[in-house]
Amino acid sequence: MRAIFTLAKREVHSFFISPIAYVVLLVWLLYSGISFYLLARFFSSQPVGGSATISPLSAFFGGTTLFYLPLCIFIPIITMRLIAEERSSGTLETLLSAPLTEISVALGKYLAAICFWCVLWVPTLVYVWLSAGTGEDAVDWGVIATSYLGLFCIGLFYMAVGLLMSAVSRNQIVAATLTFLVLAGLFLLNMLVFMDSGEGAAAIFEYIGMWSQMDAFSKGILDTRFVVYDISLAALCVFLSIRVLQANRW
Amino acid sequence: MIQVEHLTKKYGDRTVVSDVGFHVKKGEIIGFLGPNGAGKTTTLRMLTGYLAPEEGTILIDGINAVDDPVAARKRIGYMPETVPLYKELRVEEYLRYRARLKEISRKQLRNRVESAMEMARITDVRTRIIGQLSRGYRSRVGLAEAIVADPPLLILDEPTAGLDPNQIRQVRNLIKEMAGRTTILLSTHILPEVESTCGRVLIIHRGKLVGEDIPGDLRNKGQSGQLLMLEGRGNEERFVSVLRKVAGVRRVVEIAPLQDDPSAPLMRVRVETDPSPEISEAVFEAVAAAGLKLRELHREQTSLEDVFAALTTEEQNQEESQGSKEEEAVGEGQGEVR
Repeated sequence: MRAIFTLAKREVHSFFISPIAYVVLLVWLLYSGISFYLLARFFSSQPVGGSATISPLSAFFGGTTLFYLPLCIFIPIITMRLIAEERSSGTLETLLSAPLTEISVALGKYLAAICFWCVLWVPTLVYVWLSAGTGEDAVDWGVIATSYLGLFCIGLFYMAVGLLMSAVSRNQIVAATLTFLVLAGLFLLNMLVFMDSGEGAAAIFEYIGMWSQMDAFSKGILDTRFVVYDISLAALCVFLSIRVLQANRW
Repeated sequence: MIQVEHLTKKYGDRTVVSDVGFHVKKGEIIGFLGPNGAGKTTTLRMLTGYLAPEEGTILIDGINAVDDPVAARKRIGYMPETVPLYKELRVEEYLRYRARLKEISRKQLRNRVESAMEMARITDVRTRIIGQLSRGYRSRVGLAEAIVADPPLLILDEPTAGLDPNQIRQVRNLIKEMAGRTTILLSTHILPEVESTCGRVLIIHRGKLVGEDIPGDLRNKGQSGQLLMLEGRGNEERFVSVLRKVAGVRRVVEIAPLQDDPSAPLMRVRVETDPSPEISEAVFEAVAAAGLKLRELHREQTSLEDVFAALTTEEQNQEESQGSKEEEAVGEGQGEVR
């Protein structure tokens, strides 16, 4: 247990030493700031008394494609180094010959990625604060709670995907590319919902696709199906990562 | 401390380590000697639990390293050949991190890191970023990492590779300092290294253990005779005829003029003799008595290559005499491994 935290701490520490962390954070903050500004401007130009479920914040958390595009790029950048870097620099050997299990290694890395995911989103609380300042009932705190819960859940899932791809790859570029392909695939699946007129396939795509989840959560709908889906797939990916690390011995 | 039986590792069809078995007692310093690609690193990696063997058992301090790798690893300090380190960390940060991973308690952490840095002589670079250190310092950081948890068993894979002579001497001294308290298994392909540090040598070649010896005997094993090298003034025929008469001299291997001085050319001569140190004396006396002026006379050291050549040809001869086609096929298969 202690090893997991030690590992995660080292991972986060190393990440924040590297310029990548700051580049990611800076670009992400610029991007989210601009998209929040655009959304806020758009909504402020709308006549009062429009749709009750849509606000700049809920649009920000998944109402528009603005939310998903950076996910496909930033997540691979965060997760690519997790295990692939240890493998390519050879430190995986010292790590796996230290007295800790492959389970601890995978969980420590995963925890670090989750931490960084949270760090990415903490600054967005400023937008909540800004919105709250615009009026008494400008912010529906239930919606905010489900939005952040949804964010955390997809974080669990996508970080696990990144972890797995980093575990199977020999270098970071391959890991990033694989993660990007999976995420882009999930994003495109949701596109298929619009193309497919049939009920069955469209429903499945909607369930497993990327944006239907945040679409629901950003409106304050706590759909446990999505939570179960995220956590079970995250668990699967982490489990597979552990197996990949164990297979390393053979 | 280490008990290894029938250790075998295959990568696909290639057998990298085949049926290796040896025992190491507590406090011993063992050299693991072999040419590049012999299977040294693979064997060491199996001991540290980084790789799992196909067959065989490994007991580290009585613990089965295959069934309970974590418990076995707690007793091992391991320095891989490439000395992989996190280049972005500072030396002390890295050691503290590794010490925590190795379950050193908070109370002991500072002391352990401090004494590991002192032993490896890296206290002067404790705040430097590892990526900016020279090769010599990096390998000492690797060494400090290996000893930070004060393990009873130290496994060092080519600890002196890529170091300059001064650094090599420092590493050897460090190993000697730890002798007695710690059991050390170190691999190398350099014969003098083994001679200067190890009490016992295991020789591995093409994945098989081909010899086990104490270092002094190793050279003798590699040779059925010895080579004497002479430099002196005199003409070629005279040298040859004088040397041939000395008892114990088998043949003149090589004779060549070093300087083209027609009256008294300087010659370099190599002679093969019986393996007895006294022959040098006889050679000297004979040459001096014949009026030839001797400048230099020494026994040439057998190189590791000669030892291997001798040990492995012996083995091949045995295999051939057994005449089994199967074994030949196995031998060829291992040949590809290199």
